[in-house]
Amino acid sequence: RAEKTFNWKMTNAYGPGSPFYVTGPGSPADFARMVKEMSGGRLNIQQFAAGELIPALEGFDAVSKGTVEMNIGNAYFWAGKTFAAQYFTTVPFGLNFQGMTSWLYHGGGQKLWEDLYAPFNLVPMSVGNTGIQMTGWFRKPITSVDDLKGLKMRIAGLAGKVYAALGVDVKLLPGGEIFPALERGVIDAAEFVGPYQDRRLGLHKAAKYYYTTGWHETENVTELIVNRQAWDSLPADLQAIVRTAASACTIISQSWCEATNAEALDDLVKNQGVKAQPLPDGLVDKLAEVTQQVLSDAAAKDPEVKKIHEAYFKFKATHDGWAGISEAVYQNQLRNRLKFS
Amino acid sequence: MGALVSLADVLDRLVERVGRATAWANLALVLVMAANVLLRYVFTTGAVWAQELEWHLMSPIILLGMSYAIQQEGHVRVDFVFAKFPHWLKAVIDALTHALVLAMALIIVWLSLDYVGQSFGNNEGSPDPGGLPMRWLLKAFIPVGFSLLAVQALAGTLRSLISLSLGTPLQSEIAPHAQEEAI
Amino acid sequence: MSNEILAILCLLSFFVLLVAGIPVALTLAVTGFFFGYLGFGESLFHLLPARIFGVTGNYTMIAIPLFVFMGMMLEKSRVAEELMDVIGHLSGNLRGGMGVGIIVVGVLMGATTGIVGATVVTLGLLTLPALLRRGYDPKLACGAICASGSLGQIIPPSLVLILLGDILGQSVGTLFAAAMLPGLMLAGIYIVYILAVGWLQPHRAPTVPLEERDALARKELWMKVLKVGLPPIGLIVAVLGSIIGGVAAPTEAASMGALGAILVAAIARRFNAKVLRDTVLATAKTTAGMFFILICSQVFALAFRGLQGEQLVHDLFDLIPGGIDSDIWFMMLIIFLLGFFIEWIEISYIAVPLFLPILQNAGVDLVWIAVLIALNLQSSFLTPPFGWSLFFLRGVAPKSVATTDIYRGVIPFILLQGVSLMLVFLFPKVATWLPKAIGW
Ligand code: NA
Ligand code: NA
Repeated sequence: RAEKTFNWKMTNAYGPGSPFYVTGPGSPADFARMVKEMSGGRLNIQQFAAGELIPALEGFDAVSKGTVEMNIGNAYFWAGKTFAAQYFTTVPFGLNFQGMTSWLYHGGGQKLWEDLYAPFNLVPMSVGNTGIQMTGWFRKPITSVDDLKGLKMRIAGLAGKVYAALGVDVKLLPGGEIFPALERGVIDAAEFVGPYQDRRLGLHKAAKYYYTTGWHETENVTELIVNRQAWDSLPADLQAIVRTAASACTIISQSWCEATNAEALDDLVKNQGVKAQPLPDGLVDKLAEVTQQVLSDAAAKDPEVKKIHEAYFKFKATHDGWAGISEAVYQNQLRNRLKFS
Repeated sequence: MGALVSLADVLDRLVERVGRATAWANLALVLVMAANVLLRYVFTTGAVWAQELEWHLMSPIILLGMSYAIQQEGHVRVDFVFAKFPHWLKAVIDALTHALVLAMALIIVWLSLDYVGQSFGNNEGSPDPGGLPMRWLLKAFIPVGFSLLAVQALAGTLRSLISLSLGTPLQSEIAPHAQEEAI
Repeated sequence: MSNEILAILCLLSFFVLLVAGIPVALTLAVTGFFFGYLGFGESLFHLLPARIFGVTGNYTMIAIPLFVFMGMMLEKSRVAEELMDVIGHLSGNLRGGMGVGIIVVGVLMGATTGIVGATVVTLGLLTLPALLRRGYDPKLACGAICASGSLGQIIPPSLVLILLGDILGQSVGTLFAAAMLPGLMLAGIYIVYILAVGWLQPHRAPTVPLEERDALARKELWMKVLKVGLPPIGLIVAVLGSIIGGVAAPTEAASMGALGAILVAAIARRFNAKVLRDTVLATAKTTAGMFFILICSQVFALAFRGLQGEQLVHDLFDLIPGGIDSDIWFMMLIIFLLGFFIEWIEISYIAVPLFLPILQNAGVDLVWIAVLIALNLQSSFLTPPFGWSLFFLRGVAPKSVATTDIYRGVIPFILLQGVSLMLVFLFPKVATWLPKAIGW
């Protein structure tokens, strides 16, 4: 029997050539290739990087309306449309990659996400993850909370609000101007992604103090949104193929980040004179305290945010117990024992 | 005919008033951005909303300014062949130009109403905490600006048609020096 | 009819309507709407408002009104009115001296801004009337102003390099360093050309007459140098200094220039309500007029995309026999040809990602490629009929300057750009040496 062929457009919030976000293993381009191969060419997804069809942050409205069928981005880009979207990318001091994927796939997170997006006519799912990100690049060492006062930093979103509460002067800058601004000291610090992506931007040439283990982005979900009517028009097998390819890419992209970040950090520290270290404990205490306040305020303001906030942190409380005797002990007690190289 | 001429004058005056008023947004942009830079450098303080205001000012500058720019300076065109055309053909092309700009402006107004409606429906604001609210208002400059362009093009169309039927050139009293800028 | 044929017809109709005298903006919109509608109906046009919002909300574009404001303030307050005359006096017997002055001013302004329009507007307002009065060939004067005003795109900071850094995955800092020498080399080539014209065809680039030079006392001349030289130099220091001194990011620095222009006018006691109003109105007209074309070009670009225009380019590419050098030259040819129709942002988005995998596979140095592309894209500002520099200069040039003067004037400069492209191709070190030397 002759089967219908679907030719879809997929826009992307990231620019042409971006590794991880646009091309490379586990990227949206890889996702489109998998879908095409698994469906025997019945679902063809043409990807358009940011600026090719529409500007970076216009995908939500375009998919909602159905002019394009799919968009790649991060849910927290849509915080201005629905604040609770934050929770489906990352929240400061939130779940890590294992925790987040567990919540989405098995802890009710996926259902809450779909409910949140239903009024917008969208079906969301995870299609990638950067894993844990880095705190960022600083021109001077940070030894205490006082060092944050008057520090000019390129940082956006909720983390910016937390930093601002501790006296940081928050500066918004487009990606291309981060390097020149940091290099000349227009800003004292900047946050981007992780070692691999940051090195690609050349940030290590502008600032040498690399604060690691990003408290503000303990994982970061790449989001695929599909127009509801387009999704419903797909036969069940093609829907299954899309979901399968999306979860495959979630794993493949995260492990790709793990591998490339390991190589890049090694290179940055050994060859490029970068000082990589975690933030001082006292400062992290303070950041957590403010985050606690910021998140409870947001939850108190809006019942929809409250519902998702509570579900997220309820899952996290249980998961933390398990992680404390599994991951934490592995990292602290077991990981570093054998010496083979 | 006289009524049509005065209608065209009224439309032109509207475009001119709006254009002259929004031109000051250019000065506002200079002052806001310079203030942001100097306050950050001297006092290391800056507000997210004040930084967003910088690019928010671009919408009125561009969208409310474009019909004024065309009214005062004319359209930019390639004229090395056009300049050799007989007078009647130039007049026909001018009339056609105004009418097509009118059609284009109306199409874009129609296309953008949905876009603004989506933003209004979500009560969209800045994704950044501390940013400016009511992004739909910012987006609404698109249909408003192109409506204003339609007004300007309508005035131009009226004048062109009258001038064609009379066989004499007819200048706007608002922009007496408005020659078609040519390249 | 297949989409590829529609895409070709779209390009051809654009050319025909443009030459027939339909306004540039309207031509872009009409051909875009018409052929787009034939190809894909109304569907994709619902993306148009998002693209328009992308233009009006583009942060780096804020520099355009700011630098135009700076140029207009300099002109309306007449603080640098005699700039060209003074340069003419200073260059004495050297024929073409004032033309060389334009290139030097263009380099300095190019170092302060990554925006072509602003430099062309400022140079056009400040220098063209003086050059014409001095008997310069309008073609040479217009060509030099357009070419010099476009130098800002290769001399850092530069919007072109920022975008290419993004698409090619190279550090913006590396590209800035890499473009430095090729940019200066290009300026040098322009200067040699203008001096050669002055030497071979003296009537096209005359000097200030000897008796007039003698009439002006040395002391008086140096006073004039101070008077007209300080304002523009002060602004360059304000803009460049605020970037280098870590006061402002590149786009923000434009506001220092605009604010500086107000201060300069005030110090010269030329600042008053009328000057301010004239500046504001002129800025509004020039800025909004240019953005109107940019907005209309969104219709054209959207249609070209929707009609799979990039597929057209891709198919052409398949016709090319192997070898990475011929691939690179073919890419350069495509970028140059696209420059006749569309502007550099769209060219970068259409052509560069298409060739990127081939370049990566061949293992060529992408920094070097970026500089080649940037040099090439620069000609898109100058190639008629769709060239931003030409539009900007037309907007501020006296009516006595004919369109054909601008058109024919830029041709030699486009050829010189080809020469510089060839030099960087043959000697990649021109681009790759500096970033390595300073560790960027
Ligand atoms: Na520049
Ligand atoms: Na061109």
